[in-house]
Amino acid sequence: MSDTMTIHVGPRPAALGALGTYFDGETAEAQPARLRIEEGQQVLVIEVRGQQKVWPLTDIRRVPDQADREQLVLALAGDPVVRLVTDEHRLAQRCPNLSRRNSHVKRGRVLGWAMAALASVALIVFVLVPRMADQLAEYIPPEGEKALGETTLSQIRTAMNQANLEPLPFCENAEGVAALKAMETRLSDAANLPVPLSVHVLDHPMVNAFALPGGHIVFFKGLIDTAETPEELGAVFAHEMGHVVSRDPTRHALRSAGSIGVLGLLFGDFAGGAVVLFLTERLIEAQYSQAAEANADTFAMATLENAEVRPGALGDMFQKFLDKYGDAEGTSAHFLSHPKLGDRIANSSARQAEVTATGFTDTPLLTDQQWTALKGICR
Amino acid sequence: MQVISPWDAAKSMTEAPDTPAETEFSGRRGRLFWLALKLGFLTVLTLGMYRFWMKTRLRRWYWSAFRPMGHPLEYVGDPWEKLLGFLIAVVFLAFYIGVVNLLLMFASFSLFNGNVAAYVLSFIGVIPLWFYASYRARRYVLARTRWRGIRFGLAPGAWGYAGRALWHWFLAIVTLGILWPRKAFYLEKYITDRTYFGAEAMEQGGKWTGLLRPWLGVWLPLIAAIVCTAAVIYFETNAISSIPQLDGPLTPGALENDMVHRAEASLFQMLPALVVIYLIWQPLALINYNVKRLRYLTSNKHLAGAQLSLAPRFWRVTGIYFWGYTLASLVAMILLVPIAIVAIATAVGLGAEIGLELGAMGHLSQVAMTAIAIGSYFLLFLMWSVLMHAFIRFPLMRHYAESFQIANPTVLNAITQRPRDEFGEAEGFAEALDVGAAI
Ligand SMILES: [Zn+2]
Repeated sequence: MSDTMTIHVGPRPAALGALGTYFDGETAEAQPARLRIEEGQQVLVIEVRGQQKVWPLTDIRRVPDQADREQLVLALAGDPVVRLVTDEHRLAQRCPNLSRRNSHVKRGRVLGWAMAALASVALIVFVLVPRMADQLAEYIPPEGEKALGETTLSQIRTAMNQANLEPLPFCENAEGVAALKAMETRLSDAANLPVPLSVHVLDHPMVNAFALPGGHIVFFKGLIDTAETPEELGAVFAHEMGHVVSRDPTRHALRSAGSIGVLGLLFGDFAGGAVVLFLTERLIEAQYSQAAEANADTFAMATLENAEVRPGALGDMFQKFLDKYGDAEGTSAHFLSHPKLGDRIANSSARQAEVTATGFTDTPLLTDQQWTALKGICR
Repeated sequence: MQVISPWDAAKSMTEAPDTPAETEFSGRRGRLFWLALKLGFLTVLTLGMYRFWMKTRLRRWYWSAFRPMGHPLEYVGDPWEKLLGFLIAVVFLAFYIGVVNLLLMFASFSLFNGNVAAYVLSFIGVIPLWFYASYRARRYVLARTRWRGIRFGLAPGAWGYAGRALWHWFLAIVTLGILWPRKAFYLEKYITDRTYFGAEAMEQGGKWTGLLRPWLGVWLPLIAAIVCTAAVIYFETNAISSIPQLDGPLTPGALENDMVHRAEASLFQMLPALVVIYLIWQPLALINYNVKRLRYLTSNKHLAGAQLSLAPRFWRVTGIYFWGYTLASLVAMILLVPIAIVAIATAVGLGAEIGLELGAMGHLSQVAMTAIAIGSYFLLFLMWSVLMHAFIRFPLMRHYAESFQIANPTVLNAITQRPRDEFGEAEGFAEALDVGAAI
C-alpha cells in the first residue's frame, strides 16, 4: 500500500509520492528512487536504497531541450553530475527555479577572454603585420621586389575587370607610349632613381595613379584625360617616383600579399573573391602615412625643379582633383584619401612662389604633338 | 490481487546478462522541425552569431532522443564556451594568415621570385591543422556527453592523430585508393582506443580487411571508370590522326584500321549507357560501404566486457537519403524561382536599360524584387538545413537506434566517474576551419 502514488495537486499540496531513476554521478548504475516533498522544509526527498538525498526545491533545475516530453530530467544546482529522471510532471510545478541556467561556464570570464581575443586580432592585423612588413621590405632582393610588383599588378588588373575574367587591358598606342617614355626619361634623369622604371597605362576611367614594388608606376586613363597640361601629369609622375624611391609600395604590398590569395583559399570562391577585391581596392587606394605622402610631394617638387618643370604643377593637379570630386563620392584617387589636400596644394604654390622669386625658368615637358599623342594612348 | 509497483519491479529485477540491451529512440520529427526552424531563423537574424546556441540546443535534443537501455544521453556543452573557442581559433588563424603567410610570401618572393611556393606551403600547413581540429572537436563533444550520469572522454592525442591521418592518407593516395578502408579503420581505432566511458576505456577490435569487401564495390568501378576515360581520350586523339587512311585503297592495313574503328564506334555507342550505370552505381556503392563500415566498426567495439553492435540496413539508409534529398531539392527549387526571376529581370533590365523608361515605379519594384530575392536566398539556406535535420539526420539516427544493442550490459553498472575535461577552445578550430562535425 505504501507504494501507491499519492499526489496532491493545487497551489500547496501536502505531499508528493512518485518514482524515478537516480544517477549519483559516481557510478553508472541506474538507481530506482522514491520521491516525496517535505513540505516543512520545502525540499524534495529522494529515497535511494534506504538512503535519503535531500534536494531543496529552489535548487532543482530542468535539463533543457529534451526530445522526450514524457520525462523530466532534473539536476541539482551546484552539483554537475547527479541526475534524477522521473515522469512525474507535477513535480515541475513545485520547483520555482526550474528553468534557471545551470552551467559550469562563467559568462563574465568568457566575455573577458572574448575581448582579449578580439584585441589580439586587432594587434596582429594593425600592429604586428605592418611592423613586420616594414622590416622585411628592407631585406627583399631587387628581383623578388620586381616579381612582387608584377604579381600585385596582375592581381589588380584581374580584380578590376572581374566581369570579363580577362585582365584589364594596357593602353599601348605606339606614339602615346613614346611620348610617355620621353616624359619618363626627362623626369627620371632629374630624379636619380635606384631601380629602372616600368610604366603602364590601364584602360580604366578612374582618376588615379599608383606605384608598385620594383619600380612599377601605373596610370589610369582617367588621370591622363583629367590632366590639362603635360606638366600636371608629370607632377603626378614625379610624386609616384617619390614612392618608388622610398619603397612605400613594397611595404604596402607585403602587408597584403600574405593575406590576399590565402584568404581566397580559406573563404572559398564567392566570399574569397569579395575579400580579394576589397584588399585590391585597399592596395590601389594606397593610404600611405601622412609623412610618406609629404615626402613624396617634396621629392616630386625637387625632381620637377631639376627637370626644369614648375613645381606648382603638382598643386594645379591636386586642385583639379579637388574641383572634380570635392567631398563627393568617387574619391578613389589616393591623393584624395588624405584630408590635408588643401595643405599640400598650399605647399606646392608656396614652393612655386619661392622658386619664381629666385628667377626659375621652365621648359615645356612635352611638345604639343607629344602631348596630343599621350592623350590618345588608349586609342 | 497483488499489485507490484514499478519501483519494486525495478528493484527486484536482475537483468539477464545474455540478453543484449536495446536502444529506444524518442522525440518527434515535427518537434525537431520547428526547433531547427526557430533556431535557424535566429541564426540568420543574428548574422550567424546564434549558431553556437543553435548547435548546442540541437545536440541536446538529439542526444536526449538516443536512449540506450532506456536511459537518455545528455549533452552538456555550452554555447558560451563554443563562442570563446571560436574566437581563440580566430586569433590563431589571424596569426597564421597574417604573420606566417607574410614570412612565407617574403621567403617565396626572395628565393623564387614568385608566390606559388608560399601558397603551396601555406596550404600544406593547413592540412595537419585540419586533422588536429577534427580530433579536438571529437574530444570536446565526447567530454560534454554523458550517459547514466557518467562522462565520456577522449584522451589527449590530437597531434598523434594528425600525424597518423597524414600517413594513412598518403598510403591511400599512392595505392590509388585501395588502402582507403585501412585508413578508415586505423583512424577509427586510434580514436576508439582513446575513448572513455567513465574510468573505462573502449576498445576497437576487428581488422581493416573487414572493410575491404564493401570498399571493392566502390573502388573497382572507380578504377574501371578511370581506365575507360583514359581509353576514350586515347581513341579520340588517335581517331583523328587515322581518319584519312580510311579513304585510301583497301589494303590489309586499312582493313585492320577499319575493324579498330568499328570497335571504337561500338564503344562510343555504349558510352552513354555506361556513364548512366556508373552514376547510379557509385552513390549506392558508397552508401553500402558507409553502412557496412559503421556496422563493422561499431560491432567490434568493446567497453569493459560489454559489446556494442549496430546493424543498419542498406536499403533503408538509401531510402532515407533518396527521399530526404528529393524533398529538400523540391523545396529548394520552389525557393529558387523568385531568385531566378529577379536575376533574369535584373539582367534584362541592365541590358535594355528599361530602368530609365520605367522611372521611379520601375525602380521601386526593382527594390522590392531584390528584397524578395535576398529573402528567398536566406530562406533557401534555412529550409535546407531544417530539412536535412528533419528528413536525413532524424530518420538516420532513429534507424541506427533500432539496431543499436549492448551485449552483457550489467558490467556497465560498476563503471565509475571520470574527472571533468576542461577544454579551453571547445571546437573552435573545427568551427573556424569548417571541419564537418556531425551536427
Ligand atoms: Zn602618394
